[in-house]
Amino acid sequence: MAAAASVGQQWVLVEMVQAFYEAPAYHLILEGILILWIIRLIFSKTYKLQERSDLTPKEKEELIEEWQPEPLVPPVSKDHPALNYNIVSGPPTHKIIVNGKECINFASFNFLGLLDNEKVKSAAQASLKKYGVGTCGPRGFYGTFDVHLELEDRLAKFMRTEEAIIYSYGFATIASAIPAYSKRGDIVFVDEAACFAIQKGLQASRSNIKLFKHNDMTDLERLLKEQETEDQKNPRKARVTRRFIVVEGLYMNTGDICPLPELIDDIDLISANMENSLASIGGFCCGRSFIIDHQRLSGQGYCFSASLPPLLAAAAIEALNIMEDNPDIFHTLRAKCERIHRALQGISGLNVVGESFSPALHLRLEDSYGSRENDVKLLKKIVDYCINRGIALTQARYLDKEEKYLPSPSIRVVVTVEQTEEELDRAASLIKEAAQSVLN
Amino acid sequence: MNVGVAHSEVNPNTRVMSSRGIWLAYVISVAVLHVVLLSIPFFSIPVVWTLTNVIHNLVMYLLLHTVKGTPFETPDQGKDRLLTHWEQIDYGMQCTSSRKFLSISPVVLYLLTSFYTKYDPAHFMINTASLLSVLLPKLPQFHGVRVFGINKY
Repeated sequence: MAAAASVGQQWVLVEMVQAFYEAPAYHLILEGILILWIIRLIFSKTYKLQERSDLTPKEKEELIEEWQPEPLVPPVSKDHPALNYNIVSGPPTHKIIVNGKECINFASFNFLGLLDNEKVKSAAQASLKKYGVGTCGPRGFYGTFDVHLELEDRLAKFMRTEEAIIYSYGFATIASAIPAYSKRGDIVFVDEAACFAIQKGLQASRSNIKLFKHNDMTDLERLLKEQETEDQKNPRKARVTRRFIVVEGLYMNTGDICPLPELIDDIDLISANMENSLASIGGFCCGRSFIIDHQRLSGQGYCFSASLPPLLAAAAIEALNIMEDNPDIFHTLRAKCERIHRALQGISGLNVVGESFSPALHLRLEDSYGSRENDVKLLKKIVDYCINRGIALTQARYLDKEEKYLPSPSIRVVVTVEQTEEELDRAASLIKEAAQSVLN
Repeated sequence: MNVGVAHSEVNPNTRVMSSRGIWLAYVISVAVLHVVLLSIPFFSIPVVWTLTNVIHNLVMYLLLHTVKGTPFETPDQGKDRLLTHWEQIDYGMQCTSSRKFLSISPVVLYLLTSFYTKYDPAHFMINTASLLSVLLPKLPQFHGVRVFGINKY
């Protein structure tokens, strides 16, 4: 430091040492304390702050003694529905072969009948010849093929949004999209009847979930007002909290639609499944580019799954072509939905749940027969009755213990454009007949 | 840190202070700051030392004890959103070598400053206040504590 002595004062080491001797006592005492603290710190051992446990060793022993291990595989009764499934041979198209018996398909979500469409099949075959079957890599690692980009482009145009992003698995689409945006400490307002994929996405987000009653906008408003008062109490917290509303367009579990115009006028993100109407695999999200782009590095299902097999992307593009070329199929579907919805009214013991134009509607028991198990058994009898007479139906299935609000058991009736009016009427009268013979 | 390999750290903030060469880089940057201040003609030696100390502590306070969360997205859904960098170091383990180093360095700088300011009372006040602002938040007792809710969210 003596080199920097050109400041006007002579900085000589002797003077400095002299200053040290003349230093005030409080200063030296403080320095002494600091040095002692350093020495103590250097020799202190590493430890975890949360390691403290309030349990005494004896209490721990008792807890260990009390613990009873559960069997890895619990005993399951032979007639458990999961062990007795129907076997389908051949494609689940308009006609479906269930347990060797040909039926008209009222169970697969093949709304537009594109599953067996010749154009879609040949597009997929051409793609198969060109690209092979799989992609063997996620989108970020040589898994992006030209068909993926084309499909994203086409989906964005079809949905009239800036950008779309495709996922390889329908369930993972919304289940990845939600946690990509909503993190710990954020708040998500969500409809009680939201489907299982949404529930899993919410769970993965670790956010605070606020459920409002199904399609009840006043209940949502109440929650939003509650949140507003809370925000006013703590504006600093409110400033760093993101808020989301998650609703379904057409509720899978109830068959009714969300009153979107009442709810909001600007939607940030739309997520949809390509496994039903498009008769392909996967799903997509669409919206404004700056929102969608975020998922390309943060959507877990997008980053860490092998990309969609090119032949399925090509099939989806062809399905979009068909939808764009004949928009009338949507009107046809709607008319058919309304027809069977009308025909199914007034069955004693069964209620039709869902909008009249919903292509998937639920038939629920008017009154429960004691327990869920009994109800499921009765509905199964109705379904079997119909399958034996050539109409394939199915019950809506849930993971009973995992669902937030387990919907009551129901038979799901799926309408597709391929079903003729006679078939729709036949199905309705058969269901009526089955309900009469089973329930009375 | 982990150049050329994929690291498996959920939150790289926890390990950054243990990466190779970071202590040296830290010492060199403080030295560079000091030399830069020395080269400014109007400042006397005591002023330069006090300035070095105050600037060092201010930067340390901002980076370690004010800024919360991570500059990158972590796969744990933002577990550390409300934790300062100091609290994230070594997953909150206390008395680890990085923590010891970062606690001792401002004290050493303070002792040097005291010596070069000839134990002047005015410099003493400024330097001690500045030292306490970075030492107190480092104490295990203040881990996760936000006095009067300052900087809580």
